[in-house]
Amino acid sequence: MSPSRSGDPEVRSLETAGLTKSFGGVAALGGATVRFHHGKVNAVIGPNGSGKTTLFNCITGMIKPDAGRVTYRGQDITGKPPHRIARAGIGRSFQLCRVFPRMTVLDNLLVAVCARGAEPQLASARDRKDIDRARGWLARMGIEHLERSEARNLSWGQQKLLELAGVLMGDPDTILLDEPAGGVNPALIDRIGTLVRELNAEGKTFVIVEHNMDMVMTICDHIVVFDRGRPIAEGPPAVVRSDRRVLDAYLGV
Amino acid sequence: MRRGAIVRLAVIAIGAGLVLSFPAAAGDPYMLTVGITIVNYAVLATAWNFVGGFIGYISLGHSALSGLGAYGTALLIAAGLPSFVALFAAAALVALLAVPIGAAALRVRGASFVIVSIALVLILLLVFQSWASLTGGSRGLVVPRPFPGLHRAEHHLVFFFLFAALLAGTLLAWWLIDRSRFGLGLKAIREDEDKSQSLGIPTFAFKLIVFVVSAAFTALGGGLYALWFGDLDPVFQFSVLTGSTMVLMALLGGVRHLFGPLLGAVVVGAALESFKLAYGDTPLHLVATGLLLGGVVMFMPEGVIPALSSLWRRRFGPQEASIREVTAAALLDRARHEPAERVVQEADRTGGGR
Repeated sequence: MSPSRSGDPEVRSLETAGLTKSFGGVAALGGATVRFHHGKVNAVIGPNGSGKTTLFNCITGMIKPDAGRVTYRGQDITGKPPHRIARAGIGRSFQLCRVFPRMTVLDNLLVAVCARGAEPQLASARDRKDIDRARGWLARMGIEHLERSEARNLSWGQQKLLELAGVLMGDPDTILLDEPAGGVNPALIDRIGTLVRELNAEGKTFVIVEHNMDMVMTICDHIVVFDRGRPIAEGPPAVVRSDRRVLDAYLGV
Repeated sequence: MRRGAIVRLAVIAIGAGLVLSFPAAAGDPYMLTVGITIVNYAVLATAWNFVGGFIGYISLGHSALSGLGAYGTALLIAAGLPSFVALFAAAALVALLAVPIGAAALRVRGASFVIVSIALVLILLLVFQSWASLTGGSRGLVVPRPFPGLHRAEHHLVFFFLFAALLAGTLLAWWLIDRSRFGLGLKAIREDEDKSQSLGIPTFAFKLIVFVVSAAFTALGGGLYALWFGDLDPVFQFSVLTGSTMVLMALLGGVRHLFGPLLGAVVVGAALESFKLAYGDTPLHLVATGLLLGGVVMFMPEGVIPALSSLWRRRFGPQEASIREVTAAALLDRARHEPAERVVQEADRTGGGR
């Protein structure tokens, strides 16, 4: 799945053009044009209400933009239903971490396999191969000992790791993480950061919405700064950190 | 795992033995008709549970589908088809009709879906009452008996086994889906529909397919009833009360379990019939039914099977190892009431993943 047809990173990237979305007259996105770098860890930062989550929702098809386009690997995916976009290779996590609460940890991961629809749908959901792969991801997250617990009994941090494992189980090329460090203790933030870097080295592209600046500056290659529904600056961490407009709008020092 | 499989097989064998020996134990034809009614309820409640159990959409309108199956069977017989060909043809037609019905109804969730499903029953009730030239209207519609040579007692006996066979088929189909990838996808929809779709599940197609399967089995239940009972009245066929009974049986038994609706049908069906026998001429049998259901909702909200199995586990099972100090839900709840700083500290202490 991962190597794309074209070698040109420009063509392979995830990008939006003039993306616009209003909720009852309030513009959440005002003509946002962004290109995320393929094969990199991208970040979207900006004050609350600057349109970061709406951007994610438009990209993943959870909401339809009023205007503008989303393209992925050169293909227009604007307004496609979420499952199509997921199958095109874009996985996502949610701001308030979402797992299937009354399913076991293992089943939470197996769902992503049945979602891919490659094999006969009436085949057993508990395929040996899939279970082994799921256990591999759980072990990597360090929650393999919980595989038979119901997801609702996990702590917040464990649920975050479970959600990430579930997304990875679907084998996406590009992973959108909405506040991966939200409500998580410092040790776990480090671990999630390390995981992101490792997975990136294995070929996954990341787009991360995050308020934790330490994390963003440490793990991201490319940062897009949002303000009032539009990108106002972008570049590598060192550049963004010293950009006047960014300091004014967000870092606020 | 292995012990679980053996226990399950034993339960199935005992259950099947009990069902199949019922006619001999019942003795008189009246008890046999009670048995048929209960097995019929079990078919309908299990068929309902394809939708209610797997995707968590509570349909109060499934009597629309059983009613259509019943009238479809009767009308196709009138058109010249042999009884059992008519039964399956009617179920196929209802399944086909369930595609547009499901496509419209499954767009809305929660309470809206419940209301849409009730509307469906009420619309069909009006149609079947007023279209008297086709349906016989409120005078009713007589369905010719499939085995005219049989005595009444023999007729009941044959139909008891036919209903038991249909129940077995319905349970088998539910079990097949339950263990499949498709079933896991459906259960994911029940848990969190948007999240499932973000993982790549074509939620709408999944919901529609399982609704059609549910409609087909519900229609078979209704059609077989038509062949057995021999007389249809729109008021009883398209009744919100019948639809609610299916829901209550499934909820009472436990919608997450293969045999939940069956168990619910036995309990509720037996109670309904005995209340009718005891207080049949007064509204008191409805009061008694209400008390029973209220009691179940209060003391066993998850259904009988989960309540009993958790009791069993508490008594005899190993103590579950404690793996959590604070659940995410509790943490979230606290986050709403407490300053953010404290909650984050709490997460630090407990959320470390190990």
